[in-house]
Amino acid sequence: MQRIEAIESLAELVTEEDLFTTSVGILWDDWWNNRPGGVDNTFSPAAIGSVSPLALGIALALPHRRVIALDTDGSMLMNTGVMCTLGAERPPNLTIVVFDNQIYESIGGSPTLTSNNTDLAKMAEGAGCINCVTVDDHEGLALEANRLLTDDEFGYLVVKIEPGIKKWEQEQRKPTDGVEDKYRFRRYVERLEGIRVYGGADQSHVGEIDC
Amino acid sequence: MATTEKAGYAEFMLDGLLEADVSIVTALPESLLRGTYQLLERTDKLRYVRVSNEAEMPGICAGAYLAGKRSAMIMENSGLRQACEPLTRLSWAHHVPMILFLSNRGALGEKNWWGHNHAQVMEPILEALRFPYWYVNELNDIKPHITKAWDHADSSQWPVALIFGGNCVEAPHRAAD
Repeated sequence: MQRIEAIESLAELVTEEDLFTTSVGILWDDWWNNRPGGVDNTFSPAAIGSVSPLALGIALALPHRRVIALDTDGSMLMNTGVMCTLGAERPPNLTIVVFDNQIYESIGGSPTLTSNNTDLAKMAEGAGCINCVTVDDHEGLALEANRLLTDDEFGYLVVKIEPGIKKWEQEQRKPTDGVEDKYRFRRYVERLEGIRVYGGADQSHVGEIDC
Repeated sequence: MATTEKAGYAEFMLDGLLEADVSIVTALPESLLRGTYQLLERTDKLRYVRVSNEAEMPGICAGAYLAGKRSAMIMENSGLRQACEPLTRLSWAHHVPMILFLSNRGALGEKNWWGHNHAQVMEPILEALRFPYWYVNELNDIKPHITKAWDHADSSQWPVALIFGGNCVEAPHRAAD
């Protein structure tokens, strides 16, 4: 199972009303073309190691909303301490999915430490996370992802994938930069939640004597 | 509360956070703001997320912001170095406003040999990040500075740091215990 196949399977189990974070690199384009609804429900931080912390922040802020982190072995290994935080908080609306290909594929394929003896699901379990599962085939992914996404509990799913990059045409690649991503995601959250997200061009004070 | 004679700062800080509509706080406890961490442990007025590495904080706060909630990260100024990479990326690549509370370890009179580097490199790092910062040394400044920091961050779409020292931390010149 390659990443694109795993993503396509996962995309069938989620909805456009879920919120997502993704890791950097090739995953950006794979998810951009498979995100449910083709809407702005995904924030892809240009910050390796911050994918799951960001999802945690969203999940805590919107406890009624299902939040899914699409993380990677390289990103998770950079910030393993977050496993302990996730294990302490265990937001029931949050599922962490880690695509583990055991290499830094986007930058040429150098191995990550999961290619040696590191087991991310066992680390997460030891850190206090619950529902920590590793799958390595389509059937396992469909079964466990569906379970973790519907059990109203925190979950940590490691998806072992084979190397392999789907080549996207230029016009299919994610076209937005990080600042546009921020505004698009926030506006989507506003519409989804019926709330006013802070910031932006607040002109309410214009006309006041001290503006 | 097992705090010193200056523990009043903690109540001002919590009140300021609530008045600024902050609902999520993440922190890595240290000695200078001990009273604040103890208060955060007890309160049910906001969500307190303890982390084990300051590098987790920017992601958590950015996520909260994107989902419509104000947050704050609290750390010793040495933690700025740990958090530097995600802070840089989330600000420069995404323009996500975040509020940093830094205790000013290494301020004038520091008696801990290991603490001087914290203050010495703090301002250069904040300058390098282009993060505006203000010192908060008096109790009466705590609440208005927190509200103004969030207003500033919101309208600039950029992080703001508040550096707590003077009367706004535990006995500042005593060795950590």
